[in-house]
Amino acid sequence: MKNDIRRRREASDLSQADLAEAVGVTRQTINAIERDRYDPSIELAFKLALFFDCHIEEIFDPDVDLG
Amino acid sequence: MIPDVSPESRLEKVRFYRRLLYGCLAVGIVGFLVAETLEYPLVAVTVYWGGLFGMLAVKFGTSVRLFDERDRALERRASNVTMYLVGGALIVAAPAVFVLEATGRYEAPPAVSGAIFGFSMMFLLFGAVFLVLRYRP
Repeated sequence: MKNDIRRRREASDLSQADLAEAVGVTRQTINAIERDRYDPSIELAFKLALFFDCHIEEIFDPDVDLG
Repeated sequence: MIPDVSPESRLEKVRFYRRLLYGCLAVGIVGFLVAETLEYPLVAVTVYWGGLFGMLAVKFGTSVRLFDERDRALERRASNVTMYLVGGALIVAAPAVFVLEATGRYEAPPAVSGAIFGFSMMFLLFGAVFLVLRYRP
């Protein structure tokens, strides 16, 4: 699942460790999400949206359709 | 003095405790194998349980979060792949061994029979746990 966590994090001048600390996961998890290698849980997605003060769909692009 | 609670400091702590945790486990297992090889079974079991207890003490004794949802997701995927591999091997090998034994062409060593029995029991347990989780109220 594509996301723009890296862009938002860098725009906020935060390190992966800072963001990881803020949302309660390890730095490796933030790194994996940024590299599209791990899709976060709903709970973590909400935490990230809350942290960046936006909606989940503004951060994540699920690239799915109902067909 | 104000303690260093920066993310970098926290990461260092996580690294330290994770190394300590895996170190305890490694010492327990390696110590067990060495003592068992040297024929000190009591020492082997004591070292093994010591290592295991140390690992659990680190895991539950620290306030630092050592594992998160991604670690759990990786564990689930690893378990899934393992079950597929073992299940596939069992589906192919178990009937073949039984047929070969029944026809007298092959006598499976006790280790092979034990492994087939053990893995079969594991899948039986898996099925039972799956049903409980599937139909629990």
